[in-house]
Amino acid sequence: MSELQQPRKKPDRASILSVIIIAAVYIAVFIAEQIIPPTSMLFTVLKKGATYALVAVSMNLLNGFTGIFSLGQAGFMLIGAYVYGIFTIPVSARMDVYQYYSGGIVQFTVPVFVAMILAGLAAALFAFLIGLPVLRLKSDYLAIATLGFAEIIRALFQWDKLGPVTNGSNMLRLFPNFNDFNIRSASGEVTVYLSTLVPMLISGFCIALIVLLIRSTYGRALRAIKDDEIAAEAMGIRLASHKRTAFCVSSFFAGVGGAMLAMYQNTVQAKSFTTAMTYEILLIVVIGGIGSVTGSCLSSFLFVACSEWWLRFLDQKQVIGNFEVPLLRNGFRLVVFSIIIMIVVLFFRRGIMGTKELPDLFRRRRKTPNGGESA
Amino acid sequence: MFNTVFPYLLSGISVGGQYALIAIGYTMVYGILRLINFAHGDVFMVAGIIMVYMVASGVVPLWLCIPLVLVLTAAIGFVIERVAYKPLRTAPRMSAMISAIGVSYTLQNLVLYITGGLNQIYPTIPWISGSVTIFGATTKMVTVITPVLTLVLVIALVFLINHTKIGMAMRAVSKDFETSQLMGININFVISATFVIGTFLAGVASLLYFTNYTTVIQTSGAMPGLKAFVAAVFGGIGSIPGAVVGAFIIGIAENIIKGLDIILFKAGLLKGPAGLATFSDAFTFALLIIILAVKPTGLFGEKTTDKV
Amino acid sequence: MSDHVLEISNLTMRFGGVVAVDNFSMSIDKGEIVALIGPNGAGKTTAFNAVTGVYTPTAGKIRLLGQDITGKRPDQITARGIARTFQNIRLFSGMTVFENVLTAHHLRRTSNLFSATFRLNAAEEKSQRADTEQLLRYIGLYDLKDEMATSLPYGKQRLLEIVRALATKPKLLLLDEPAAGMNPQETDELGSMIRRIRDEFQLTVFIIEHHMNLVMDISDRIYVIEFGKQIAEGVPEEIQNNPAVIAAYLGVDDE
Repeated sequence: MSELQQPRKKPDRASILSVIIIAAVYIAVFIAEQIIPPTSMLFTVLKKGATYALVAVSMNLLNGFTGIFSLGQAGFMLIGAYVYGIFTIPVSARMDVYQYYSGGIVQFTVPVFVAMILAGLAAALFAFLIGLPVLRLKSDYLAIATLGFAEIIRALFQWDKLGPVTNGSNMLRLFPNFNDFNIRSASGEVTVYLSTLVPMLISGFCIALIVLLIRSTYGRALRAIKDDEIAAEAMGIRLASHKRTAFCVSSFFAGVGGAMLAMYQNTVQAKSFTTAMTYEILLIVVIGGIGSVTGSCLSSFLFVACSEWWLRFLDQKQVIGNFEVPLLRNGFRLVVFSIIIMIVVLFFRRGIMGTKELPDLFRRRRKTPNGGESA
Repeated sequence: MFNTVFPYLLSGISVGGQYALIAIGYTMVYGILRLINFAHGDVFMVAGIIMVYMVASGVVPLWLCIPLVLVLTAAIGFVIERVAYKPLRTAPRMSAMISAIGVSYTLQNLVLYITGGLNQIYPTIPWISGSVTIFGATTKMVTVITPVLTLVLVIALVFLINHTKIGMAMRAVSKDFETSQLMGININFVISATFVIGTFLAGVASLLYFTNYTTVIQTSGAMPGLKAFVAAVFGGIGSIPGAVVGAFIIGIAENIIKGLDIILFKAGLLKGPAGLATFSDAFTFALLIIILAVKPTGLFGEKTTDKV
Repeated sequence: MSDHVLEISNLTMRFGGVVAVDNFSMSIDKGEIVALIGPNGAGKTTAFNAVTGVYTPTAGKIRLLGQDITGKRPDQITARGIARTFQNIRLFSGMTVFENVLTAHHLRRTSNLFSATFRLNAAEEKSQRADTEQLLRYIGLYDLKDEMATSLPYGKQRLLEIVRALATKPKLLLLDEPAAGMNPQETDELGSMIRRIRDEFQLTVFIIEHHMNLVMDISDRIYVIEFGKQIAEGVPEEIQNNPAVIAAYLGVDDE
């Protein structure tokens, strides 16, 4: 997921290994999709994991690489999800979806990929506007202000007067979802399954872009701002414009992530994009390691796999022999999960990866705790 | 006109008082640790859940439940600080904030597990659940009691802070953490006391709030918590009178907005419903952003300067 | 307007009731090494902060090569050609030595977000890296280029701050106590190095320093301030024999 290209010199062994691993994962996913029934939990996890990975990396770009503690991610995802939905619901289905608003006022559609880009652009535009007052604030005030903005956006999209566009507090549905990436024969039979691979490719492509940005001269400037704003400014880095850039780029990808979430869920409803969603993504970033793209990706898949799949057994009665395991019932999974998270937050503050990236794992250990860009 | 607005105003004052009691916990903790205690709203919710289960157990008589809930809530506040915040005191501020979010997540999930995610009916506390009619508006007794009780508690708290030894220590610690440590103030004790007082007041707020709203669920604390925090920022974080004033303004404003369609309609300014009630929560945050943009230190906040 | 590189006229910095710098004027000509000295708390760093835009002056004007830079942002001032180091070292702690210097090249980029992300600026990136390498070799830190900046010994961190400042291609270099924490040998080397970089990079140097040997050794001229006010100005010999300076440093009745 994190092709850490090093364009200015010959790729080293570690980078090549990393690229091979990532390629192998994609090939494995492709093969698995053709042979394992599409209802398998594996694909649910991969689809949702890919979505969360993109959003988590976009949040990491702010919190981990620029040092801006923003809690507005759910708001930007909401914008992305809605823009995607609004522009892709087939015209023939609009009467159905916008039943209280006589079919709504948007009476055209754009191709899926165009809609995803629009989703990102809309989120970035909001970020630009929000950034003007908010980015001047200091750490925790900024956190609470971005969180507040997400709440305002949530209310705005539920407003009845915007119903002809947003469908008010009703859900958007019937737009193209991940299953529409499958290739079908004329009779409607699926010939090639791509409903998991394509979202993973989209997410991987976007994350690769973020990685390229982080490793560019702009990425260095952002990291400088995170380390020491005063020194960064003294080196001629304009704080306001760089923070705004990071904020808009992060929101762009959160918007694309929102569009992916819409496709994953099949429906979109503003009220589900709560602060709790942002918290969840933040915890993913923390578990993966604040400042590691690889970490955010790994922990997204782990997080989703645990909550949707591996820890599911904790939610059901389990009997071993004649012994009924106590405590196990609905909700226990989340309790265990919370405890794991608290343990990470308190005792393993560097998360899974610290600031290391995938290629760093294949390199000889360096004296320093920080991975970053090694030569 | 008055008859239309008054009921909204009344419940606004009541909710405002409840927010005020929560907001004090935020503002005191922030004043001392510079930490937004994101879990504070959830402790408030947990206090509600404890009450529900304690009364339902039937073991403890209702009159005893009330003080027990308050003591337990304060104990939870104490434990949270010791377990989740104390180890991170020297870590970057972001770590403590993340830990607070983790605690919030944990408390919500714990309650989800215990309740099965179902709305819990809050027990009826006699007298304060009763009805009362003032100026032609019928409301619960709690609506009238809240602002009075809030003011009494705030006055007591301000007295505590200004005239007792522990209060003096609190003021010292919030002015300068390190120096007061050097002066021999027991920092741990002061911080624990702050959490205990803050959560105790949140417990009181929960009794009043849930008597009014009658149901508790794991997410019940999130919104009141955020709003109370906004109230604290609005009033100038660290300032108790500021938090109280901020809370009343927010409580009243959000309730007026809830009825704004009707109020404007009756005043002839609106022809049909405009759905403005959707913004009753959002307004709070709009207020927050305006105050942060215009006067980041809040209404009563002290100005701080950063050293380079 | 003359050909002063830096000209400070009637600078006053007031914080609440405290006047940190009081109606201070000075100028530096091209190629000079000028020192600003004074007892602790005299307002030296405050003056630096006003010149570099960290503080906005309460009153007074600051000109760089005849252009008014008063009240400009720090990054704008750096872009116009003033680079600085910090009294309490401010290196980028999450970066290696190499990255610290490379980051300082960001200012002179011609690429934008897109060309940088999509690597359309490869030539520029390459030349920045080459320049970084050259600078590190020049100052003798090349062997340490992959170390984390903050893991270096104190004296080397100070050197790194100087190279990082040089990487912004300044006309005027402001050094805030560059010898603090250095041993006598390092201090000696620092002196000759400052002269060397002044000559090779055609710089003008403005320095705050407490090591009097170093100051007397390298400075062309010296300004002395106390309580934010100038009490003396002149070549090293004059300063050394100035009674006001001696009084300020030793205290009139001390010892």
